[in-house]
Amino acid sequence: MEREEVKRRIAERFGAKVKIAERSPKRVYVYAENEIWVDLARFLFEELDARFDTGAAVDDREGVEVMFFMPFDREHYYVTIKTFAAKPHPTLDSITPVIPGANWIEREMFEMYEVTFRNHPDLRPVLRSDTRPADFYPAKREMKDNHPLVRNRDDGDWRSDEVAGRPPKGKNP
Amino acid sequence: MVKKIPIGPFHPILEEPEFFELHVEGERVVKIDQTIGWSHRGIELLSEHKTWDQVPFLVERICGICSCSHPFAYVKAVEDLCQIEVPLRAQFIRVIAAELERLHSHLLWTGLAGHFLGYNTVFMWTWKFREPLLDVLEAVTGNRNHYAVMRPGGVRRDLPAEEIPNILKLLDRLEKENDLLTKAIVDDPVIHARTKGVGVFNKTMCRLYGALGPTARSAGYDIDARRDHPIDAYDKVSFKVILCEHGDVFDKAVVRQLENFESIKIIRQCLSLIADTKAGDICAEIREVPPGEGFGMYEAPRGEVFHYVRSNGGNMPIRHKVRAPSFNNILTNNVSVPGNTVADAGLITAAVDPCYSCTERVGVVDRRNGERRVLTEADIVRLSHERTDEIRRRLAAEAGRE
Repeated sequence: MEREEVKRRIAERFGAKVKIAERSPKRVYVYAENEIWVDLARFLFEELDARFDTGAAVDDREGVEVMFFMPFDREHYYVTIKTFAAKPHPTLDSITPVIPGANWIEREMFEMYEVTFRNHPDLRPVLRSDTRPADFYPAKREMKDNHPLVRNRDDGDWRSDEVAGRPPKGKNP
Repeated sequence: MVKKIPIGPFHPILEEPEFFELHVEGERVVKIDQTIGWSHRGIELLSEHKTWDQVPFLVERICGICSCSHPFAYVKAVEDLCQIEVPLRAQFIRVIAAELERLHSHLLWTGLAGHFLGYNTVFMWTWKFREPLLDVLEAVTGNRNHYAVMRPGGVRRDLPAEEIPNILKLLDRLEKENDLLTKAIVDDPVIHARTKGVGVFNKTMCRLYGALGPTARSAGYDIDARRDHPIDAYDKVSFKVILCEHGDVFDKAVVRQLENFESIKIIRQCLSLIADTKAGDICAEIREVPPGEGFGMYEAPRGEVFHYVRSNGGNMPIRHKVRAPSFNNILTNNVSVPGNTVADAGLITAAVDPCYSCTERVGVVDRRNGERRVLTEADIVRLSHERTDEIRRRLAAEAGRE
């Protein structure tokens, strides 16, 4: 679908709840309010037939900017949808029920930036270990200096123990 | 009775360690749980402490095999942010280096797949074919791997004119060798029996799960960033996007083999076009990087690599997001592995080319009594080889009866 047509249909559907900007013929940015976030992703993915590529989060003083990249491959341009999840506890609706491919990237944003995605089927950290301190979000720029360290894994067998249903050896933090 | 089989998590020589937990009923896998992040190196954060020009050296170390694709996507992101044009000669050099990389990556995958199936001859041959390719890469870029060829605005090193005949000679040879390899794979009844209908991932699923590269194209999902979002010289050359329809392991192998021919075609076109450009004009000057954001993508051998950068006008990025294609493709195992046997699981997870190879260890856990046995990497490969031998014997017996 052509760029102008896509912009027109998004503006028609969501009105004042979105702001559309264009930096170059290949890059369209749509800034959305939190409440229509999932609807916007669904609209682009299901009705306008965009492909889901990936997402990114950027930490800011007041909140976390979350964005998803949705290209229109045949027409050679990208639509980037953005929203802003306010601190201290950024929360958004998850788009994983609509697009299963967003599963891991949302989990990554959660563990790195504490963006809690409501309705996500399995919101566990994806990259770091299960034994990390619960309130430790490495990419969020407000580190506390008294964080307990994650325990040393001197025992190579710990994962198998967990799988077997036995408590892991050693002490949890 | 459902058993759980953990595979992994890692071996130090793998660039991409993973942990697979297979839930099996007898031989059949009913569910797969995957955990990634075992070698999280914090590259995004490291990158935020390097200057714009230093970052390519860092990102090419994300993956030893894709060490041209990551910097390519990164420099395109910076060029998107700065809105600059790259000199024509640099565009061709970038494409030549990137396509040579695709050739060696695909050959490497074919060799590994051959090893998995019990065809060590294929493994040895592809390694033999790949070696001169690495020599040419060394002559063109200075290194066999980690080419350090990309920089924002252009390339670091000009293509020496005396190397062009060598590259052409290599391409002629490689075309014949790849042809031989492709025919050997497509005509072999044992490979058919072992890979057809195994690990099927269909087109609808590709769209839902965001599958990329040969994983998507083998199921007929027609995406290729080189054609869809052409960067640099890709809109000046002609090539075909290879598509298959079944999405099984066999089709993934075929897509990669046929893509090799297209890469050879692209390099030949670039080599003839580069003659018209001015030697030495290989980099546009970037005076300053303005505040703002930009992103770039490139079709790496495994699928689309995506880099996002944000600047505050300083000399380093304040945010750099990297998405490697395996991040999307590994997720597809959730759908493609269940329904297959344990002997096939290793092959299917390897078919998305996640650099997960044969060095993992496997533990078999009986959920009821906690009984546990650990299989080594050799055991997984042995299981796979036994299966191939069994098929070979069956086919031979059938041929004997006829």
